[in-house]
Amino acid sequence: MNQLTPNSSLMPNSSQMIVCDGNEAAARAVVLARPDVVSVFPITPQSSLVESLSQFVADGVLGAELINAEGEHSVLSALQGACLAGARTYTATSGPGLAFMFEPYVRTPGLRLPMVVSLVTRDMLSPQCVWGGQQDAMSVRECGWIQIYCEDVQEVLDTVVMAFKLAEHKDVLLPVNVCHDGNYLSYGVSRVEMPAAGLVDEFLGEAAVNWHIALDPARPMAVDPLTGGTGPGGAASFVGYRKSQVRAMANALRVFSDIHAEWGERFGRHWAPLVEEYRLDDADIAIVTIGSMTGAGKDAVDAARDRGEKVGLIKVKMYRPFPREAMVAALSKVKAAAIVDRSVSFAWECGPLHQDVMTALFASPARIPLVGCIGGLAGADITGEHFARVIAATFQAAGGDIPSSPVWLNEHD
Amino acid sequence: MAAQDTIRFIPERCDGCGDCMKACSKAKGGASRVSIVAGRDKSWEMALCRQCGDPKCVANCPAGALDKHGGTGIVGWSAELCVDCHLCTLGCAYGGIAFDPAAGHVGKCDLCDGAPACVPACGKGALEHLSAAARLHQAHAAREDMFVPGLSACQGCNSELLIRHTMRRIGRDSIVAAPPGCIPGMGTVGYNGQTGTKVPIFHPLLTNTAAMLGGIKRQYERKGRDVTVVALAGDGGAVDVGFQSLSGAAERGERVLFICVDNEGYMNTGMQASGSTTFGSWTSTTPVGEVGRGKSTDGKYLPQLMMGHGCAYVATASTAFLDDYHAKLDKALEASRAGFAYLHVHAPCPTGWRFPAAMTTEVCRRQVESNFVTLWEFTPAGGLRFTRGVEHPRPVTDYVRMIGKYKHLSPADLERIQASVDRRVETLQGFQRRSAAE
Repeated sequence: MNQLTPNSSLMPNSSQMIVCDGNEAAARAVVLARPDVVSVFPITPQSSLVESLSQFVADGVLGAELINAEGEHSVLSALQGACLAGARTYTATSGPGLAFMFEPYVRTPGLRLPMVVSLVTRDMLSPQCVWGGQQDAMSVRECGWIQIYCEDVQEVLDTVVMAFKLAEHKDVLLPVNVCHDGNYLSYGVSRVEMPAAGLVDEFLGEAAVNWHIALDPARPMAVDPLTGGTGPGGAASFVGYRKSQVRAMANALRVFSDIHAEWGERFGRHWAPLVEEYRLDDADIAIVTIGSMTGAGKDAVDAARDRGEKVGLIKVKMYRPFPREAMVAALSKVKAAAIVDRSVSFAWECGPLHQDVMTALFASPARIPLVGCIGGLAGADITGEHFARVIAATFQAAGGDIPSSPVWLNEHD
Repeated sequence: MAAQDTIRFIPERCDGCGDCMKACSKAKGGASRVSIVAGRDKSWEMALCRQCGDPKCVANCPAGALDKHGGTGIVGWSAELCVDCHLCTLGCAYGGIAFDPAAGHVGKCDLCDGAPACVPACGKGALEHLSAAARLHQAHAAREDMFVPGLSACQGCNSELLIRHTMRRIGRDSIVAAPPGCIPGMGTVGYNGQTGTKVPIFHPLLTNTAAMLGGIKRQYERKGRDVTVVALAGDGGAVDVGFQSLSGAAERGERVLFICVDNEGYMNTGMQASGSTTFGSWTSTTPVGEVGRGKSTDGKYLPQLMMGHGCAYVATASTAFLDDYHAKLDKALEASRAGFAYLHVHAPCPTGWRFPAAMTTEVCRRQVESNFVTLWEFTPAGGLRFTRGVEHPRPVTDYVRMIGKYKHLSPADLERIQASVDRRVETLQGFQRRSAAE
């Protein structure tokens, strides 16, 4: 364990109310998780997060090795080395930084390195832009990282802490992206409850990150030798690794649910681990949301309810692995649903979440109409007014008028 | 012929009888060129020429009468050129060259054409004639080889020799990263559950070796464990796509030993050109045809760039001069405890460069003798220092004509190579002069 700074606002002895934005909340969660090695490279809109981490190290509150690498590619590479040497590791990135990190990024899950990396989501170039959107995270949705999306600043703090426990769980042992929306959550300030540091220590326990593979002279081994090909046992060996990796992803659904239950017991905040159902039980239609838009979506649902319209909401928290059963269970309660994506699938003329919900629906006894909506690209707002249009379009779809192409929410803004 | 010979004096066996001096006088027909002198506490010491790697007598000689031979390493004296100024005797700290009143000029040991008369004359076994091979053997034979037998390097490849020497010296408390290239290709990183290396080894990306090693080292420093982390990288993973992470790690002073084994291209995957490929080289991506005449630009000279990073230690080396390499490896290891250490070792590739496999060491030697490759080291405090003189090079054609990848070159091309070699030597000499002045 690193040094404990007792009873500071970063390491409180008992839970404490503070005010901060999402980037600082993530940084504070990292302090509570006591990583061994943190590597940073700044990029908008993540920069204030790594500035906070650097300051916490400079202040001696975060007792981690801080590596100011010369780019995101080296950030993740250094963390791979540190993790193989036994370190609990963390970094954060965004947009082009994630793209630059891609080469070591795709290798991390196969190495089964349980690191936590925040994605402060940003739309992807081009057109050139520096604003929020989820196109960056969605671009890496099939790389084998666990992806979790947060709704508000408190959820960012709680989820980053929980992510370490998820990543390091022996049935999972995979890297985790905790995504929070650029602009809206990165800079959005709100009241946040800091959990007591000692309770977080009990919750997380000691890091156990390299018991499966290690670069350690005390346990000499070749880490990640060439595997596969047509050599003796190659095919079976490769399949064995891949199969266990896919199995570990599936396990993450159960493990994350258990972790949320424990978090609720210890800290009194009960988040839905996979999908949250909001006013859904008697609803006719549902809006499916992901990330910070959920807050505006819930307000729109409340407004619709006030008008007498039976509308509910399904918030996706864990996106990879996709919570197929939870999604089917939620969709089975309504006659039509709208999916609001904050990014696009170039292949399917819809959003990526839409595509996943369609796939989940295949396992559902009832094929309900789906309305695809795309909004909030490059920092655009998704307001109550936008959601009112989503709700109207979904009622029309429930009546048989199903749009064949996406509704672009900010098309005329 | 061994590259470096010398005589080893073992003082505890010497009883001061002087038989060695008599044998030398007889063999050379004048004053003995070795002297037994009384030391402290009834011990004996011997004044003799060490055939130094960096001989001060040669540096002091204003007449070019002293010269260190590139093949044998013997410091030779020329009666025709000597002007009897005796400045050489002031330069030598070992009493290895002295005025012989009977002969009327200085005299020094020349190792008697490879069979020094003094050695068998000593009945006490206080003198040993050591070739470089024998000395290296004595230093390293007892050490454990860290690679399995049967690595599948091409015939004549010096990379296998280099990594075996290197890891014998570094030992078990180490972690090796071997990015894609010939060194993993020869089996070091393992295949389907088996490994070719006894110490922990990882096959990183071509791009990220230095950063990844930096991360490992930070965690061991945090734990208070002394672990050496070493890169055995090719030139592609250093000069090209690996350069950014190398540069960043050097700038941060990560405690890493990075060894670049430079065979001037992507030889493992079929001899494609890299940034290190030299002008005129045939490679599979700079082929020779009706229009194409091999690579049209000079290679990137990474050691100089690493010097620009102010690394704790930077050196170039050649496997034809293993003594020199071992001395530099020791210094690099020590330097890597406090900062970034970079070694650049040249690895002529018989398969890709098209020369006979038996000629590799001779090719390495010619590279150095022609100044195509220069041997030097750099520290921030001491600046650049040549570890082998560059003053009397062979023409670069003596080297180039040994190599198939250059066989299409025109006289104008050869002149260009000579000019660029000369320019680089001048540049490096400039660094050395500045270091000496400071």
